[in-house]
Amino acid sequence: MTVGEKVAAANRKVLDIMTKARLVWTDVKPAIEAVPGMERNLILIPGPPIEPEDLPVPLKTSVCGAAIHDGLAKSMEEAWEMVLKREIRIGSSQNYNCGNAASSVMSSSMPVFVVEDKTSGGTGYCVPHPGSNPRVLRWGIYGDDVEENLSFIRGDYAAVLGEAVRKSGGIDLIRILSRTAGMGDENHNRQPAASMALALELVPYLLDVDHPARDRVIKEVCANDRFFLHVMMAGVEAVMQSCKKVPYSTVMVGMGGNGIEFGIQIAGTGNRWYTTEAPKISGIFLKPTTTEADLLGYLGDSCVTEVWGLGGMSAIAGPSYLRMTGGTFRDAQERTEKARQVSLGEHTFAPVPWDDYRGFPVGVDVRKVVGMNVLPISHGGSALKTGGQAGAGAAELPMVCFREAVEGLVEEIKKLEGE
Amino acid sequence: MSDVSKILNLFRSELITVNVGPRSFAEVLEKQGYEAVQVDWKPAAGGDKHMQELLEYLGGWE
Repeated sequence: MTVGEKVAAANRKVLDIMTKARLVWTDVKPAIEAVPGMERNLILIPGPPIEPEDLPVPLKTSVCGAAIHDGLAKSMEEAWEMVLKREIRIGSSQNYNCGNAASSVMSSSMPVFVVEDKTSGGTGYCVPHPGSNPRVLRWGIYGDDVEENLSFIRGDYAAVLGEAVRKSGGIDLIRILSRTAGMGDENHNRQPAASMALALELVPYLLDVDHPARDRVIKEVCANDRFFLHVMMAGVEAVMQSCKKVPYSTVMVGMGGNGIEFGIQIAGTGNRWYTTEAPKISGIFLKPTTTEADLLGYLGDSCVTEVWGLGGMSAIAGPSYLRMTGGTFRDAQERTEKARQVSLGEHTFAPVPWDDYRGFPVGVDVRKVVGMNVLPISHGGSALKTGGQAGAGAAELPMVCFREAVEGLVEEIKKLEGE
Repeated sequence: MSDVSKILNLFRSELITVNVGPRSFAEVLEKQGYEAVQVDWKPAAGGDKHMQELLEYLGGWE
């Protein structure tokens, strides 16, 4: 077999894993019990690896807040000292089959959603979405009120939710995506339909849980229209764990930003990152006083949804998100068309009625991106340099990452071929 | 004698240019009142020879 034939076979395998995934949310567990490689003094952050000294303000706050939450330090100052001395380590979430949206971080005692891909055997993890309150660790904010909410999530919330999910025997995410096809979700920045469909499946089991905090948990779940995002991110990571085991493949299997750098991963080189300066998200701001100078570069792993064909890839499925962020229906069509040009296949579970019932493009081939000079687009929320959400919109993925990925894979294949 | 009428007919008919390359070439013709069709084409890998070789090694992208 030639190298080209081996690449083609590997890509067919990866596309198969991506399109045949059967994602089931099976549990809610503390990260230290669920995530392989998790350690007591390890805090997982979004995006590619970064030295602590280079952390942007929101992530620094989230890491130190998580350290206090986990009992590793008593104050933000003490936590930061420990981080600088590497007594508290930071790691890149996607290297652990985890995703951390925006400025979310994962410390060892935090509960994580466990999602399994019953077809390929992969498992992925993500902390719960904290709800619509703007003062959350998810946006790089920490204080007594944030700690109170984090403690509720780690305690009663995780206990009740975990019991309900286990009682259900597992919740099928593909079924939720199928049921909500044509309901306007692009499933990265907009998922009210999927969150409601998930609540529809979960609430009967929540009502069977005997716990004093049960009603509060039901209210929190049902009031959060972003709830599905973090469950879905765990699902995507389950798929990507399996894809990362396929050598020779040129398909993108990871991406994210830490506010300073943005990076991608490809199947053929597993957890190796290809990075460049993080692009800024353009779109709308929540406050009229915010300017582009206030924006941090792309922050978060929620764009793993794009890696699996959602968000900007399936922009046409959620055109109202384009409307909200300053775009048009035609822009949504163009985004999905661009994604199709550089993708190897399409999902079949959620055909879009106003797109000739076509599915979401999936499996971005870095060769196509570089060869055709066509860049896929990711949706995303934007972060303020000082912490907090700035707004929402979209960013073109940086070409440099794709070119580096081509170089990296050729290097890797030459080693495998003994050249 | 070869029949040159076909080629002469071509020159006598309306000129429509198919432009492959920078759009500005087509725009100049349009400004002068000629019709031009722009082909949506970009050189492979932005014209980068090294990248083209690496892509070739990986089996191309078609």
